[in-house]
Formats: sequence, structure tokens, C-alpha cells
Amino acid sequence: MDLQLVSLEIGACLLGIVVLLVDLWTPAERKAQLGWLVASGLVGVFCYSFTIFDQGTGTGATGYVKDSLAVYFQGYFVLSAVLVVLLTQSYATRIRSGISELYAFTCFALAGMSFAAGANSLVLLFVAVELITITFYVLTSFERHRLRSLEAGIKYLILGAASSAIMVFGIALIYGSTGALDFHGVARAATGLNDDSMMLLYRLGVLMTLGGLFFKLAAVPFQLWVPDVYQGAPTPVTTFLSTGSKAAGIVLILRLLADACPPLLGEAWLRQLLALMAAATILYGSLCALRQRNLKRLLGYSSIASAGFVLLGLVTLSDQGAQAVLFYLTAYVFGVVGAFTVISVVSEESSDEDISTLANLHQRSPLMATVLTLSIISLAGVPPLAGFIGKFALLSAAISSVAVHPVMPWVIGAALVGVVISFYYYFTVIREIFWGKGRFWAEEAPSTEPLPCPRAAEVVLLTCLFGLIGLGLFPEPILFIAGEATEYLFSAN
Amino acid sequence: MQEILFYIFSALTLLCGLLVVFNPFSRNPVTSAMFLVLTIISMSGLFVLLKAFFLAAVQILVYAGAVIVLFLFVIMLLDVKDEERRRYQKFGTFLGFAAVTGLAMLIINTIKQSGVSQALTGDGVAETKPLGKLLFTDYLLPFEIVSILLLVAMVGCILLSKREETAEAEAE
Repeated sequence: MDLQLVSLEIGACLLGIVVLLVDLWTPAERKAQLGWLVASGLVGVFCYSFTIFDQGTGTGATGYVKDSLAVYFQGYFVLSAVLVVLLTQSYATRIRSGISELYAFTCFALAGMSFAAGANSLVLLFVAVELITITFYVLTSFERHRLRSLEAGIKYLILGAASSAIMVFGIALIYGSTGALDFHGVARAATGLNDDSMMLLYRLGVLMTLGGLFFKLAAVPFQLWVPDVYQGAPTPVTTFLSTGSKAAGIVLILRLLADACPPLLGEAWLRQLLALMAAATILYGSLCALRQRNLKRLLGYSSIASAGFVLLGLVTLSDQGAQAVLFYLTAYVFGVVGAFTVISVVSEESSDEDISTLANLHQRSPLMATVLTLSIISLAGVPPLAGFIGKFALLSAAISSVAVHPVMPWVIGAALVGVVISFYYYFTVIREIFWGKGRFWAEEAPSTEPLPCPRAAEVVLLTCLFGLIGLGLFPEPILFIAGEATEYLFSAN
Repeated sequence: MQEILFYIFSALTLLCGLLVVFNPFSRNPVTSAMFLVLTIISMSGLFVLLKAFFLAAVQILVYAGAVIVLFLFVIMLLDVKDEERRRYQKFGTFLGFAAVTGLAMLIINTIKQSGVSQALTGDGVAETKPLGKLLFTDYLLPFEIVSILLLVAMVGCILLSKREETAEAEAE
């Protein structure tokens, strides 16, 4: 097989191994600085993989395809990995065991994600998902001295293992009923199935495989792990979990639906099921976030709600919907990374993640207050920021498919209700930044001392600021690339 | 010769399997686990007779080696004495019998329907050579990803189990 095809993944793995080795010769106080090396290495690897990009090669026996959809998602994953590595560097003082391993694991998880982006067979799908999940088991329990981190690790391990088991069972059922492992082979065999019981097995297999992927996406009813794991995991890991791991699930669902189940796409139950899940996920996330005081849990629930919006785009089962999903994710990464970076810096100073620690942030650090406010506004979907364009694209894709999907008006209604509810909890955060009084039982007024921001975190914040405003004002280039990536995804069938 | 070996291995598998769950001489879980090892070894003998050498080797390496060690660890961490005192539960016994009867009926029905009359001799699909060829040609990429996965698991295990400078976890 062509090694150049997987140069991005090989580069990411090599970078991880190199970091593990360089760690041995680096004095302890300089280890955190390795983050710059990793981040620049990742950017270099990504640029190299772009120069050799050749559309549509490498299908067939290897089960890996590097088409424009894969490249789009790989770019997305590298972007979020670079931001996460920089965020990790500013978080380094709180990691007691092995900061270099944290960088290396981020690289390995990135390799898994970009394999997932190009997965075109069930074997590669499973292996890539396992590489991501097992890396995250370790990452979530990285702060072993904190009980919450251990608790998060155990919860993620048990639920993740159960969902992997469901998924591998589903894969076995698909293979048993169609006798093929690569997506197109499955689709061809399934179209020719005329045995009812085999068709039932195939449907069940697809459903169970999707279930394992919905676990990554944190869609209802696979969302139970989110708040605890998001709260317990180290903040950079939480960020990567809600950007990278989630998007890996989305690209696999897109590929599975578009390539492996064309015979099912016309059936009403699949659409109804997806629609029901989308509505339930949006409402669950929005309602549970209402009374949350812990910032990381709050963003956890908001991430469930946004998984619902992604599902809204998937329900349409159309190229337009997929394009909107891709754009929404890109807008989402800047909002989430910006918000988590500020939370990470603020919670380090106060060793608390309560929402009241944000009080007076606009006096203490204007940059952080600005970025957090803009991130939150973008997540809420207020014009003219990136998040608004994302939600708008999703809703318009949903509205234009109303004619084909009879249940769609209900889902759109639920989404609108979710948006309105989300305004409330998002603006609680903003109110706390500018008008917060601190905890009502605290005797002292909240501090107004300037809050220093580490250099690496500043870079992340400025990137997010640039991304949020840039994507909001000039969304056309990214929308165009997303459109290229999803062209003929569903309409080819 | 092969037939005699088949009967010996089958009888050993069944006998040891029975002794795992129902042993009149000892109620010690460690003994049960050891009988499970014997069951697995005699099953791998059956695989050898079917010319599935790779499967036989993996059966011993993975099940008799790794899984049983894990079992033993868990058993030794738990209180063995407590287990010895416990009586058979009627409900559990009933459920076990029901499950076994159901499974047996299912298997018998399947064999009857598929019409396997001649002796199974193995067709060489599960042999080591074709398996290796497939792994290093068609499935090379997933195979290599698994090696990265093992590296991650190894580093992760060392990382999570090594002694920290400040040993005790801080209660929050």
C-alpha cells in the first residue's frame, strides 16, 4: 500500500514516540516547553500531508480512503489537537505525572481520529475508534491525585467498554448478514439481500454499530457519562473530548450512513429514530444545563445540546445537511476551546470551577473576558459570530428537507425551544463575568487583581478570537470547502 | 487414532467443565479456575484435531494464560472463605438448567437444519499461513494501528500504576 497516503497518521504517531523519547533527556523544568515542539510538529505534518493530497486514491483493500471529506476532518482534528496541546502546556503545572506522556497521548489520539476520518471499512472503523477510546481512558484519569479524575476515568472506561462491545456485536451482525467488511461492499451486498431474516440482522447490526458511535457523540440515550467525565478529566482532555472525539464519531456516522446503508436510507424508521434522538438530545442538554453552577459540567451539558444540533443536520440525510454539520463543527471548536481555556486559567488561580469565580473577569483580564464572552455568544448562536452561521446553516438545511421528512417540523420546533432555553444559561455566564458578585456567602468581595495568562494560553485565545470573528464575518471559504467535501455524499446513491 | 484422541479430548472438556461448576471434593474457587484451565487446554486439543493450529495456540495463550491469571487475581483479592460457606441457590440452579437446556436445543436444531452429517475435518481456512498472509496484506493497516494501540495501553498502564511522589489521593 501507499505509505504517502497515511503520512499524516504516521507523522502523528512518530511525533508521539519522539516526544516520549525526548522526555528522557529533557530536564524536568523544561518538559512543559515540549508543547511548542509538538504543536509546530503537528502543523508541519499537516502541511506535508496537504502537499501530497490526491483526491480519491487508496480505496479498496486497505479500507482507507483519503477523499475531500477525510481531508476536511483531518484538518479539523489537527487544528483542535494543536489548540489542545497549547492549552495543555498552560495547564502543565497541575499535571504531576508525566506531561510529555500527555502530549504523546494527544498525538496518538489524533492519529486514531484521522484514521477514523478516512475509515472505509468496518475493521478500520473499529480499530480507529478503539485507539481513540483507549487513549482517552488514560487521558481522563491522568490527574491520579484527584479523586474526581479517577472517578471520571473509571466511569468512562466501563461505559466505553460496554459501548464498544455493542458496536463490535453490530459489526459482527453486519458481516454475518452481508459477508463484506468494506462499506461499499456492505451496501452492494445489502441491496441484493432478499432474505427477510438476513435483512433484519443487517438492520440490527447497523443500529448497534451506530449506537457505539452515538456514544462518542454523546447523543441521548448514550449521554450519561458526559457531565461526570467532563468535570473530572483534566481541562485540556475535556476540550479534546468535546471537539476531537465527538467529531470522530460524527465523521464515522456520516460515512456509515452514506456508504454502508443506502438500502436503509429510504426507510422511515431510521429517519424517525434519528429525529427523535435529535429532539431528545437538544432538549435534554438544554434543560439540564439550566441549574448548573459548575462551569465544566455546564459546558458538558451544552456539548450534549450541540450533539443534538449535529444530529439535526444528520436527520436530513442530505448533502446540504452534511455540509452544515461540517461548518457547525468548525465554528464549534473555536467556541469550545476558547471557553475551556479561560476556565482552565481561572480555575487554576482559584482552584475551583464554580461559575462565581468568573466575577470581575472583565477587570482582571480583558482578553480572557472578551474571548469567553464571544465564545459563549457564539455557542449560543447570536449573530454575527461563527456559531450563528453554523446553527443557521443547520436549521436551513432542516427546513429545506421538510417536504421529504414529515417529522421534521417537530424536530425544528424542539431545536428552536432548545435555542431559547440555551440563551438563559449561556447568558448566566456572561452576567457572572460583568456583573458577578462572587459567592453570596463569601465575606470578601471578589478579587479585582489582574489575572496573568500564560503565553501558550494567550496564543490559543487569540486564535479562537480570530476564528470566531473571522468565520462569522467571512464564512464563505469554509462553507465552500465543506460543500466540496460533502458533495455527492448522499446524493450519489 | 484421530477418533480416539477426539473422544479423549471431548470427554476431558466435558468432565473438567463440569468440575468447574460442580466439584464434590472442593468448593475452593481457585480449584475451579484450575479446572477451567484444563477445560481450555483440552478444547485447544480439539482445535488441533480440526487443523486450526493458530486458534489452538491463541486459545492457550489468551485464555489459559491471560484470562485465567486475571480470574485468579480477582479470586485471590476476594474473600475465598466466604464463598466456601455459601450454599447452592435454588433459583440460580434452576436458571442455569433452563439456560443450558435452551442452548442445547438451539445447537441441536441448528445441526439438524444445516445437515452436517459427515465428520468435520477442517478446511484449512483458519490455518496460520493464510491468516498471516491476510493480516499482512489486506488488513495491514488495521494490524499496524493495533500495535499503536498496544503501545498506548502499555504506556498508560505504567503511567497510571507507577508510584507518585505524593502518594495519597487528595479528597475533594
